[in-house]
Amino acid sequence: MTLKNYQRVKIALTIILALVISQSLVFKNYLIPIALMVASALVLIFLRRRVSEVIADERDYMVGGKAALLTIQIYGWVATIAMLIFYGLRDYNSAYQPIGLVLAFSTCILLLLYSLFFRYYHRVSLADKKYLYTALVLLLFLVFMAFALRVFSGEDNWLCQNGEWVKHGQPDYPAPNVECK
Amino acid sequence: MVSLIIQRRTWNVNNFMENKIKEERIKLNMTQEELAARAGVRRETIVFLEQGKYNPSLRLAYGVALALGTTIDKLFVFDK
Repeated sequence: MTLKNYQRVKIALTIILALVISQSLVFKNYLIPIALMVASALVLIFLRRRVSEVIADERDYMVGGKAALLTIQIYGWVATIAMLIFYGLRDYNSAYQPIGLVLAFSTCILLLLYSLFFRYYHRVSLADKKYLYTALVLLLFLVFMAFALRVFSGEDNWLCQNGEWVKHGQPDYPAPNVECK
Repeated sequence: MVSLIIQRRTWNVNNFMENKIKEERIKLNMTQEELAARAGVRRETIVFLEQGKYNPSLRLAYGVALALGTTIDKLFVFDK
């Protein structure tokens, strides 16, 4: 397979994914886009191995590294300032508090991941990916466990009782906008 | 202090090495695509190398020198 064909397939898959995700949000079906994302990733991995030309070289990786660092720095500053503004204005609109929290947590996770990978690459050879994949899987597992415990624990959230949203514990976000049946 | 930092940064970023890749490639009647394929990089990287806008890794410098049948010290000019 040529590099051009691979890039065409990649663009086509991106367009299809964008269409499916936007439609799934409208129809509230989230399993199809997740399945499609996994399938697309597998297709791209399969096709990538069949490309005989060089897809990315050391200059691409260097540029990618610099762009990623700059992105993290800009996002860190913007998200932190926005978080402080949203959190400061939480009394005006209750929706501002969860937005501020999402920004705060996403910045923390981003910086935590960056620090972990930075330390990892400082200590371990760049070519040694076995430990990296193990660490990544463990980290993802921990993040999902924390997320699952937070969401499915049943503590500090809104419960639907007799057609009304009732506070359970001390949820730090407003009642859901969807109808309680 | 600030001017010192700016000077150091400017030196680090813009201090690209001169090289004779284009001359050697033309001598061998080789295209940029051919050289890129032999060195295991994309053509754009060869373009940047020839224009003196990119400092290659030791591995790539060795690969380019090998592809052109010469040595690193003859191909790259290190100007302090």
